[in-house]
Amino acid sequence: MNKDMNDKKAGLIKKTPGYVMTMIVLLILLILSVLLAVTFGSVRIPFRDVYGVILYQLFGIGDASVYGSGKIYDVVCFIRLPRLMLSMAVGMGLAVCGVIMQAVVKNPLAEPYTLGISSGASLGATVAILLGVGARFGSNYVGVMAFLGAFGISIAVVALANIGGRATSVKLLLGGMALSSVCSSFSSFVVYFSSDNDALKNVTFWLMGSFAGASWENIAVVFPIVVLALLFFWSQYRNLNLMLLGDETAITLGTDLHRLRQVYLLVSAAVVGFVVYSSGTIGFVGLIIPHLVRMVFGTDHKKILPICALIGAIFLIWADVLCRIILPGMELPVGLLTSMIGAPCFIYLMVRKRYGFGGGDS
Amino acid sequence: MKIETKKVELALGNAKILKGIDLHVGKKEFVGVIGPNGSGKSTLLKCIYRVLQPSKGAVLLDGKPLKSYAVRDSAKKMAVVAQHNYYNFEFSVREVVLMGRAPHKRAMERDSAEDYQIVRAALKTVGMSAFEDRSFSTLSGGEQQRIILARALAQKTPCLILDEPTNHLDIKYQLQLMNIVKGLNLTVIAAIHDLNIAAMYCDRLLVVENGLIIKSGTPEEVLTPEFIKEVYEVDADVIKDEKGEIHILYHPTYRKIREDNEESSNV
Repeated sequence: MNKDMNDKKAGLIKKTPGYVMTMIVLLILLILSVLLAVTFGSVRIPFRDVYGVILYQLFGIGDASVYGSGKIYDVVCFIRLPRLMLSMAVGMGLAVCGVIMQAVVKNPLAEPYTLGISSGASLGATVAILLGVGARFGSNYVGVMAFLGAFGISIAVVALANIGGRATSVKLLLGGMALSSVCSSFSSFVVYFSSDNDALKNVTFWLMGSFAGASWENIAVVFPIVVLALLFFWSQYRNLNLMLLGDETAITLGTDLHRLRQVYLLVSAAVVGFVVYSSGTIGFVGLIIPHLVRMVFGTDHKKILPICALIGAIFLIWADVLCRIILPGMELPVGLLTSMIGAPCFIYLMVRKRYGFGGGDS
Repeated sequence: MKIETKKVELALGNAKILKGIDLHVGKKEFVGVIGPNGSGKSTLLKCIYRVLQPSKGAVLLDGKPLKSYAVRDSAKKMAVVAQHNYYNFEFSVREVVLMGRAPHKRAMERDSAEDYQIVRAALKTVGMSAFEDRSFSTLSGGEQQRIILARALAQKTPCLILDEPTNHLDIKYQLQLMNIVKGLNLTVIAAIHDLNIAAMYCDRLLVVENGLIIKSGTPEEVLTPEFIKEVYEVDADVIKDEKGEIHILYHPTYRKIREDNEESSNV
């Protein structure tokens, strides 16, 4: 906070408190969201009991015989809390990766999907579920294969874009789309020739994305990776800003983006891989949230990265709550819901305003 | 700050754009690079500011090969104002100028009060202080170009490279930009389209044609009617006014074209 003080001393940045305030408000909203969302679920549990369990777990307050074990304890600690934590991590991860990929390819339409990374993950998972490939990776082999697929495709996209000269944003985007088609067609091929109905249902559920499989083991992997990636990218805000000005300007400002672009892409692929590993493919979060945030806060990555992460987390927490309560007695895959909300929003934004990095007027 | 090139050649595909360019720009010299479209003047400057790599030859900064500098270090030596481009993003003016501080910053380093002071000083120099909080994309072309100049100034370099910076700007902004640059008293290399502007501001002119420097000297030495006829294929008079400034007056050829047309239609 040294900087903020300096700024105030110089009497310079009137806007800085604005976005810092926004971050504080969003952080409070996030905590409130967690506290509220934990009371929703298919099993009706009184507020008092839910918080009793949480307080007991956190501070050891309360009656161990009521809150330390039993059905309520199990539901809160092994179903609801892991789910919340996972949706938070996934929301943050997807929103941040969206911002990064958009900067890397200098195109506001980039997302884990358009760069082929999600398709790679889908292919990995499909092959794992239907053909049993990679079973020796253990019980979580589907997730591991999805991660490997995402990672493999991102490396392939970078390699493809580097053929015949330095990788440019257009070549990255085209390479991503081409490889995405390749992956989807191979996935479809495997699905088409499969006769295993249970496995097919499994694939479908997985492709639509869901937090139902949340467990503390998953979270212990995904959460730290997302947070570390966020901190890493936040420290890189200057380079991310320069990416939007293009390679030529960046060189005259002392930064060669060529290497950085690939490093950023691989780090985001790792995040997407782990996100997909834990919860399947959830679309549009990486597209809509960065766009909305840019409309309000501009393009400076120093501001929008943390804000996107917080809004992404809040968004997916509530999307998941909605999925659990919208249809009585059954649960909607959250990926389905984000696409149903996200796609019309996206079209609306596109029609209403020229789609750009915050939308200039001309 | 000295800039030299030694037999710089550049081939793009089979086309040789630069065919061995030797130049030398001394401390605080204002050198203009002129030449017709496609002559290679912009390509030459791009080799100097590292966007293009010469296929042969070398660029030297203060006697050391450009390649031996890290990109960050060469950005502390020279700043660039390039042709005006429209940017489709929503940065504030302050954020754009602050990017000029990037070569002086390490990855985790915060922007200090000093950086903000440099930004304000740069904006003051280009006369845009009042625009600090405005969104860059809402400014006019001339204003945007002055902000880009402020960004280059925030780099605090001894040398400034102007790559046809006044293209597409109204005459007011063309002169304004050149006046600001001239007033800074830095080493300047500028690719310039307009011969009158080149004559007004440059200490020395280099003429590039077909990838070679075919002439160099003071504006008065270089810009003769014969030279303009030869390189640009236009008729012109060059006059020197009482203040010693050189003006180039072009002569239109439409009367002759009209006469020719009338003759041919009469036949």
